[in-house]
Amino acid sequence: MADNRVLLEVRDLKVHFFTDEGVVKAVDGVDLTIESGKTLCLVGESGCGKSVACRAFLGIVQRPGRIVSGEILFHPDGNGATIDIAAMDPKGAEIRQIRGREISMIFQEPMTSLSPMYTVGNQIIENIVLHTRDSKEIARERTIQLLDQVGIPRPDRLVDEYPFRLSGGMRQRAMIAMALSCNPTMLIADEPTTALDVTTQAQIIDLILDLQHEYGMAVLFITHDLGVVAELADDVAVMYLGKVVERAPVDTIFNDPKHPYTQSLLRSIPKIAMRREELDPIKGMVPNPFRRPDGCTFHPRCPKAMEVCRHVVPSVTQLDPNHLVRCLLYESQEGRPDESAPAGRN
Amino acid sequence: MVATHTTQQVAPELTMRSDDHLLEVNHLKMYFPITQGLFSRVVGYTKAADDVNFYIRKGETLGLVGESGCGKTTVGRCIVRAYEPTSGEILYRDPDGGVTDLAALEGKEIQPYRKDIRMIFQDPYSSLNPRMTVFQVISEALRVNNLASGSEMRDRVEYLLQRVGLRPEYIQRYPHAFSGGERQRIGIARSLVTNPKLVVCDEAVSGLDVSIRAQILNLLEELQDDFDLTYLFISHDLSVIRHICDRVVVMYVGKIVEVASGLDVYVDPKHPYTEALMSSVPVSNPRARDKGTRILLEGEVADPSNPPSGCYFHPRCRYAQQLCREQAPPLKDLGNEHYSACHFAEELSLAGVRMV
Repeated sequence: MADNRVLLEVRDLKVHFFTDEGVVKAVDGVDLTIESGKTLCLVGESGCGKSVACRAFLGIVQRPGRIVSGEILFHPDGNGATIDIAAMDPKGAEIRQIRGREISMIFQEPMTSLSPMYTVGNQIIENIVLHTRDSKEIARERTIQLLDQVGIPRPDRLVDEYPFRLSGGMRQRAMIAMALSCNPTMLIADEPTTALDVTTQAQIIDLILDLQHEYGMAVLFITHDLGVVAELADDVAVMYLGKVVERAPVDTIFNDPKHPYTQSLLRSIPKIAMRREELDPIKGMVPNPFRRPDGCTFHPRCPKAMEVCRHVVPSVTQLDPNHLVRCLLYESQEGRPDESAPAGRN
Repeated sequence: MVATHTTQQVAPELTMRSDDHLLEVNHLKMYFPITQGLFSRVVGYTKAADDVNFYIRKGETLGLVGESGCGKTTVGRCIVRAYEPTSGEILYRDPDGGVTDLAALEGKEIQPYRKDIRMIFQDPYSSLNPRMTVFQVISEALRVNNLASGSEMRDRVEYLLQRVGLRPEYIQRYPHAFSGGERQRIGIARSLVTNPKLVVCDEAVSGLDVSIRAQILNLLEELQDDFDLTYLFISHDLSVIRHICDRVVVMYVGKIVEVASGLDVYVDPKHPYTEALMSSVPVSNPRARDKGTRILLEGEVADPSNPPSGCYFHPRCRYAQQLCREQAPPLKDLGNEHYSACHFAEELSLAGVRMV
């Protein structure tokens, strides 16, 4: 592991929502590892559970959802200490030591994730004072410095402005400043650029990459935009209906994807740098969360589905040390699933 | 001609620059007043569209791109006459060959054209009335225009539902029973029910997931061939525009900065703003990461109610010179249907999309 040690290990995480209409298995057995200093992109269509999984890492899953099983092991420093976030009381004091300090998050909506009632500065200062117990004056100095660092012009004046005076891109920068205020070891970014224009998106992506270089934090980046993934990921995890179906380094995902869902996803995006040709969409649509298909949940839409896919739930197959895939095509190839794959068999 | 004999029609007959143009937009201006105080005194104008000129050929797909607030939606809404333009012409060629200025029509005069020029909206959730069944939603335009009734109307709606890939049995359901992609199909069926000539697609696929987006894009292309449609495709998504458009118009703060063919605008841009836009598009191949450097624009999009002097793009342009600060550049014809509103369009050598 050398430089890039494992920072967060997620094992068989399940987050279910208990509604009147039934149980929605939003996250249904997710395994992930995130290394410090690296960027992991979590990709998938809406409803695949990517946002819920990340909320679970911070203990902020909204009711009626809760973590029903699994472990979220967080290794905050090199000396072997391990904390299981999944076992913590989501309202307890322990998790508050982590949330916003060790792990912080940027949300999709820069318009709604800042409070309109407080100045930008106050919201950032609050976080610093809470976690570091510094005086307000020191926290204010630090806030101005942070705002400057994320590229906000005239930070000494903007610190006292209310969020409505800022444009979308500037608000997202302010959010990033807030997330970075306590030097987190891990940053979770939930679709931080989806609501922004391309030129602003490019600025924000560059900013996140620069800051990662500087602070060496791990970044977990959630997006549905495969172009963004290609720009910034080190590793990619593709999710479909609550499960990670494929996980590999970014180059492998784009140039040698193995799971039929990953392959279809890549074929269905219009490519700007290539000749136009007819798109090859995935047939059908994401199934109703209350009526998930049996067996492999992707089989009704899968171009390579076999009879066995209808009733056998695929387990994780390890194709090479960094490439994991959850598909029966590869299990049959090897005869039986790889026993050394991280826990993911159910 | 269909239009009425008002005083305006006495004026010399309108003509278009070319016979194959379906629509010509000339010097279109749409200013929204900014009011202040108790008596709503007008203190200024937001120039959402400021002297916009372009044409759409019959049967082609014209893309209109730009960032939020550049006025692309305003232009689309002026064409469907959801707005009354401040000034300018929107010339439309009727199926029988006559030319009408849509911008000059008033009140009921517009109605005959509403069936020819239709719109597909961005948000499939808010654009369908939740209290109307699919049948009512799609047939509404037929009813209010007295174009069909009874079984004829029902047949047409069923045919269209099938055509856009939905089962005709769903005709009595309400929109809430459908997913986003299906709703967008209903919106498309609604726009096609009157046999339109021109369809304005305002961010028609922006709210959809990638797999559904591909389905809808393919459907739109199929329908274009089958129904002889012309599209004005408004989007901020440059890869979608690249995929579907024959020609592309790029807007910045209410003005057109570049017009070119769908390929040229990507590989051979002639305006620094287009260049910056192209270089910010994420290319979906990790191996393209290091090819060429990305141009990061400084600062923010200009305020359309208080734009900078000269070329609106000059404060963010890395090639800006004194002339750019003083004089607004005209949209120059560079030949081969390539137009650019940059003083130095001919001299600059700009980079296109990072090719893999």
